[in-house]
Amino acid sequence: MDRLPILEVESLSTHYYLGGKPVRAVEDVSFTIDKQETLGVAGESGCGKTTTAYSIMRILPVNGKIIGGKVLLDGEDLTTKTEEQMRKLRWRSASIVFQYAMNAFNPVLRIVDQITEVMMEKFKVSEEEAEDIVANLFDEVGLEPSRMRDYPHEFSGGMLQRAIIAQALSCDPKLIIADEPVTALDVIVQNKILDLLRSLQKKYDLGVLFITHDLSVVAENCDSTAIMYAGNIVEKGSTSNVFKRSLHPYTYKLIGAFPRISGPKKRLEFIPGTPPNLLNPPPGCKFHPRCPFSEDICANQEPEYLEISPRHYAKCHFAGQLNLGG
Amino acid sequence: MPLCWAIKLGGIILVTRKDILEVYDLQKWFPVRSGILSLFGEKRFVKAVDKVSFSIEEGDSLCIVGESGCGKTTLARTILRLIEPTGGRVLFRGEDITKKNREEMQKLRLKMQIIFQNPFEVLDPRLPVRTLVGEALSIHNLTEDEDELEKRVLKVLEDVRLIPSDDFAQRYTHELSGGQLQRVCIARSLILKPDLIIADEPVSMLDASIRTEIMNLMEDLKNEYGLTYIFITHDLAQARYIGNHIIVMYLGRIAEMGPMEEVIQNPVHPYTTALVSNVPIPDPDEERYRIMLPGETPTPIDLPPGCRFQPRCQEYGEGCRPEEPELREVAPGHFVSCWR
Repeated sequence: MDRLPILEVESLSTHYYLGGKPVRAVEDVSFTIDKQETLGVAGESGCGKTTTAYSIMRILPVNGKIIGGKVLLDGEDLTTKTEEQMRKLRWRSASIVFQYAMNAFNPVLRIVDQITEVMMEKFKVSEEEAEDIVANLFDEVGLEPSRMRDYPHEFSGGMLQRAIIAQALSCDPKLIIADEPVTALDVIVQNKILDLLRSLQKKYDLGVLFITHDLSVVAENCDSTAIMYAGNIVEKGSTSNVFKRSLHPYTYKLIGAFPRISGPKKRLEFIPGTPPNLLNPPPGCKFHPRCPFSEDICANQEPEYLEISPRHYAKCHFAGQLNLGG
Repeated sequence: MPLCWAIKLGGIILVTRKDILEVYDLQKWFPVRSGILSLFGEKRFVKAVDKVSFSIEEGDSLCIVGESGCGKTTLARTILRLIEPTGGRVLFRGEDITKKNREEMQKLRLKMQIIFQNPFEVLDPRLPVRTLVGEALSIHNLTEDEDELEKRVLKVLEDVRLIPSDDFAQRYTHELSGGQLQRVCIARSLILKPDLIIADEPVSMLDASIRTEIMNLMEDLKNEYGLTYIFITHDLAQARYIGNHIIVMYLGRIAEMGPMEEVIQNPVHPYTTALVSNVPIPDPDEERYRIMLPGETPTPIDLPPGCRFQPRCQEYGEGCRPEEPELREVAPGHFVSCWR
């Protein structure tokens, strides 16, 4: 099968500066997303998943800085673009769907105006043309085109999330970054939105970077999975490999912490302690203070991120040697 | 109700445990104000909780689940009279608490505590943990002196496994992680030695790797303190791991209730069936058949007459009568409000 990468991230590092000291939010992160592929990036709060997304789009807060690495979108390096060039690229090449749909729209403007505004800026189309496109998009995402003149408060959470997806698609991007797109929604609506996202992805040949803390959603919706911990990707591979043949103890423990509605009731796993403070991360492997398999080498030497089996990567000294029962 | 469950189990009363809480036809309707015209027309209400009856035995843990807006949080708050009910009765250890006045209620609340969802929001950032945890004891004048207060604070901090307790007692909220903050919230309730704890989404703000620890802790405390729990959650999979009984709510009413595994494995109400089929599973290889409900949950203002689930129901048809279905027993202890 021909693989056509749409996004290539190479050794990306992003730090935030707090009183002059760096918070190593993202360190040495590499991955690729192909056309029509959905990569799920999962991890706990503060692991760097949202910072990774914001680094790709270059929408970091003022104290955040990309200090190394490359972000190639369709072959173009985004990290060297000027702010003006970046502004032109956003929405057109890559767009982002944020978590809280209710906060993503301006409450005092009609939804249609908020979408056409972007299109008129990017494509120099007339307002009428833009509105026609929005009407079609509304139809596409399962909303009544007649309701596009509504204000955001007239929509339910699920409808707003659909409108946000319509907006994300409005400039025909190649990549959609979805940052916790369904977290605030109920399960039934959640699945409807995810089904929609999947069908649109096929139709428009989109690459999707799907960010979530919920591994169950990743398992059911993503082709490949990257697990982040304390700013690093600790494991990445096909979703089936990551879930069924986990290489990193963190991945294994985290998956085991999610309750299941089906099958026998298993004991839930937990990981003692808390993720490290990234102002002052532990030496060696950042997971070693919480790892049940930790040995001397883990505390002294940072493990490398290696391809353990074809297209299945892990950052652990003992990857492939541990008996994780998977 | 457990009494009748027991009788059905062969005519002998097998269960001698008492109900700690009984709720009869509890109702909370919020009036809708919509401009001057509402003075003339019929008054409209948001029926957040509409004729809900259930009971919970001492030492049990009951999960109330449902989608956002189904009335689960309103139900919890109405039980504690943090929101005044507009109808129905709540019996706590046999006493009707809807009749109590303010002072009596304040005393009763010592025995009925609530833990909120977001530990980052409920704790005052300017007070040390010692004060946050001891506050309720001082307010209610439940301690002899400072020494006893200190002793009890340290003891309860140890009980929620914030050890060394004297170190944690002097910390402020910004020095604690989310899991530790939720432990402080639990300690705040526990120090009053309550009988019933209502926990409104106690772990949903926490990371997955920490949730299990808090849930295990709550289970341990249940035995140590002889507690009864009511958990409010939107997550059915989570509910399965924390409760023995379950109530599934839809638009302010109970759709289905019964023993946890029974309801999860053999749901009877079409709404529960759809809900269970939509819960994601952390296993990429498991084939799922999802039941998709048309539309979205309507607001509980202008409800359809009869069964309120009917507009979205996939199984609506013969046998569905025009009236609202009452709860009926389909298996021992398993109740469903559906005509079919």
